[in-house]
Amino acid sequence: MRKAYIEEQKSRHGRKAVVVLPVHYPREILTAMNVLAVELWGPPGPPRGPEAGRLQTYVCAVVRNALAFIASGGADVADGALFPHTCDSVQGLATLAPDFGGWKKPAFRFIHPKGPLRASSRAFIRAEMVALAQSLATLGVAPPTDDALRDAIRLHREIDALKLRLADRRAYLPVNDADYYRVLRRGEFLWPTDHLNELRDIERKLLDTPAQKGIPIFITGYVPEPMSIFDVVAEAGAYVAGDDYAAVGRRVNSRTELDLSDPWAALVDLYDSASPCPTHSAEQAPRLAHLDAIMQRCGARGVIIHEQKFCEPQLFDVPALRRHFGAHGIPQLYLEGELESDFSGQARTRIEAFIETLSSPRSAA
Amino acid sequence: MITRRIQYEIAGNVVGPFLTSLDKWRKKLRPKKKGPKKEHPFGPPLESVNRLKDIMTRYYFQGRYADGAVPVAWVTSGFPVEIFRPLGFWTVYPENHAAICSVQRVVPELSDVVEKEGYARDLCGYARADIGSVMTGKTPVGRLPKPDLLACCTNICQTVLYWYRALAEHFKIPLVLIDTPYVYGEAPEHHRQYVKDQLLELLEVAQKITGKTIEPEALAEVTRKANIGSKLWGRCLDASKNKPAPWTGFDEFFHMAPIVSLRGSDECNDYYRGLAEELEDRVKRGVGGLKKETHRLMWDNLPIWFNVRGMSDLLAQNGFNFVCTTYTNAWYEAGKVIDERDPMGSAAKAYTHIILNEDLPKRLSLMKRLAREYDVVGAVLHSDRSCKPYSIGQYDLKDRLQAEANIRVMVLEADHADPRAFSAEQADNRLTAFMESFA
Repeated sequence: MRKAYIEEQKSRHGRKAVVVLPVHYPREILTAMNVLAVELWGPPGPPRGPEAGRLQTYVCAVVRNALAFIASGGADVADGALFPHTCDSVQGLATLAPDFGGWKKPAFRFIHPKGPLRASSRAFIRAEMVALAQSLATLGVAPPTDDALRDAIRLHREIDALKLRLADRRAYLPVNDADYYRVLRRGEFLWPTDHLNELRDIERKLLDTPAQKGIPIFITGYVPEPMSIFDVVAEAGAYVAGDDYAAVGRRVNSRTELDLSDPWAALVDLYDSASPCPTHSAEQAPRLAHLDAIMQRCGARGVIIHEQKFCEPQLFDVPALRRHFGAHGIPQLYLEGELESDFSGQARTRIEAFIETLSSPRSAA
Repeated sequence: MITRRIQYEIAGNVVGPFLTSLDKWRKKLRPKKKGPKKEHPFGPPLESVNRLKDIMTRYYFQGRYADGAVPVAWVTSGFPVEIFRPLGFWTVYPENHAAICSVQRVVPELSDVVEKEGYARDLCGYARADIGSVMTGKTPVGRLPKPDLLACCTNICQTVLYWYRALAEHFKIPLVLIDTPYVYGEAPEHHRQYVKDQLLELLEVAQKITGKTIEPEALAEVTRKANIGSKLWGRCLDASKNKPAPWTGFDEFFHMAPIVSLRGSDECNDYYRGLAEELEDRVKRGVGGLKKETHRLMWDNLPIWFNVRGMSDLLAQNGFNFVCTTYTNAWYEAGKVIDERDPMGSAAKAYTHIILNEDLPKRLSLMKRLAREYDVVGAVLHSDRSCKPYSIGQYDLKDRLQAEANIRVMVLEADHADPRAFSAEQADNRLTAFMESFA
């Protein structure tokens, strides 16, 4: 389906398509240049083809699967590949596949600065965004005009605003988590206006009275894979009232005021006000405060820390998260997922047992 | 403060040297073991080993008294430390400390503590060891001085940032970061400018913490010394281009401690001047690191610190010598670029172009050059579970090196710090089979 959609976007709208590795990149620039971003979070499941064996098994599966996928021609419909500077592993893939085989089409890199923004990094990320636009232009698309960039920023702001409204009213939405997150994650490859329309469709379903009867929980992690996590949670009698998945909730920017007179400066401001993310090497204190705020807003009674094996940026934050939630008496479950396989029976039992403990009135956070 | 300073000076200039002398005397007075001498495959030991022990013992001993006496910074191995020297910082290298923990085989014990806190065992063993050490206060070096500042540079990996952030949380002190964009092909101008801008920001922070101002002449002088030290280190490594190599790659791993920890100091340069002279003298006299060097190899990645002895024995018994390593070479490649005429600009260039911060074609090119210059017949690529940036791409590097450098290459799965991620028997079997392939 994704391939058919991409081909249709190319033929009907004359768009170029770029496959994008996780996580953060200035999508507005691609939109302004009429380039479709198609994100590649793995894909999940066992690696496709033997190329995954070019990386050691202790490298995160998102990267190993991505290499296997693109090297086996899975992304050939795209015109280029963009590798954001997310972690050592994606950074390594950004040279391995283009330089040593696996990806023959143009490769673009976007290096975002680490740590809190300083004067040096503000100047750098602006220059890096401009450089990205220039390199994307080698696909035969025009560099973005300021007006096109402003329009793209407005469009993505509208999407973010709608996602925030939906998140705030999650309990009033008569849609199960699996379907809800499927719609949210379709934004990983849909053209922004198509994604916005689907979000509006779902917004129309909002009720005036709560539709979710289960126990509200909060999940933080990298990517909601396997997606069956939502079914397991639902079957155990809970629903995801809020999330901080790097692939989903964490990418929604809540900034409301934005000066668009200089759209490049606005992009830097957006980067600066993004939700704290370990892949940006965000400091832990602001991240914990941010998570507290979401949890409070969504009324979650417990938290699932759902990490992917070998994901260094995320894993280094786990002790702080566990300490923090523990100190605040918030029930928590640490879950290590694997992109290649579904949850084991043991993992399912742990989720069920955790949610069962939350159903006790004394466990309310 | 004054008392502490006096303790620090006495520790470094009186007690430290006294203890090392005492240790030497004790060894001299120790009754010699009777019976026939055990045969071993190594050449005579390097005389510089004693000086190395002196320097590093004194370094760690004086370091115990550094906090409260002088400003203390904990820094990563690839950090542009030249800026700290003129301000009188005592620098501690947690990676070096973690390597000592690994050699002393205390990493599992330290790691157990942090794993209970939620750190995954899949994370870098160095990071686990150091965080465990600060949490427990346990260290094989007696005591590490409490830092006033943490300083990390992402040119070796991004892990250091997460690791140092954990240290910053623990000590409640500032963390300064030099973020070096990864180099694909050539670094564009705005990447170089970014690093240079950060160095200037670092300068301000370091001056603020110490209340001192860096005189340009002082910075130039340290830069000059660091450049000389790196070239001297390079001279030591170059000695192995001769046959037989006057030392082994395993020796190099241990003798690199001063270029990591004392770069930019007279002490470091004096040491390497002496070591280079000794090695060159051995070359003239035909004295090798092995009694009989039959096969010359290259090593890629960090050493397996806790098993250096076992591996070096196995290889040496069969006449195999690691005459070059990409790891020890890194401190030569970067340091020779820094230039006293432009300390900041050259540092930005040098510290960005580190092997681990450059793309795979550059790495392959370097390995081919080393293979050619050192005339090796094979290479062992250590697939290091604790160091993903160094290990990603090694399977491809293996194939290309075999084809393009016409050498035999083996990938060895292990870990640089944690023996729990290593099977000695399996490694020995693989190395033995690899060596047999040259028969």
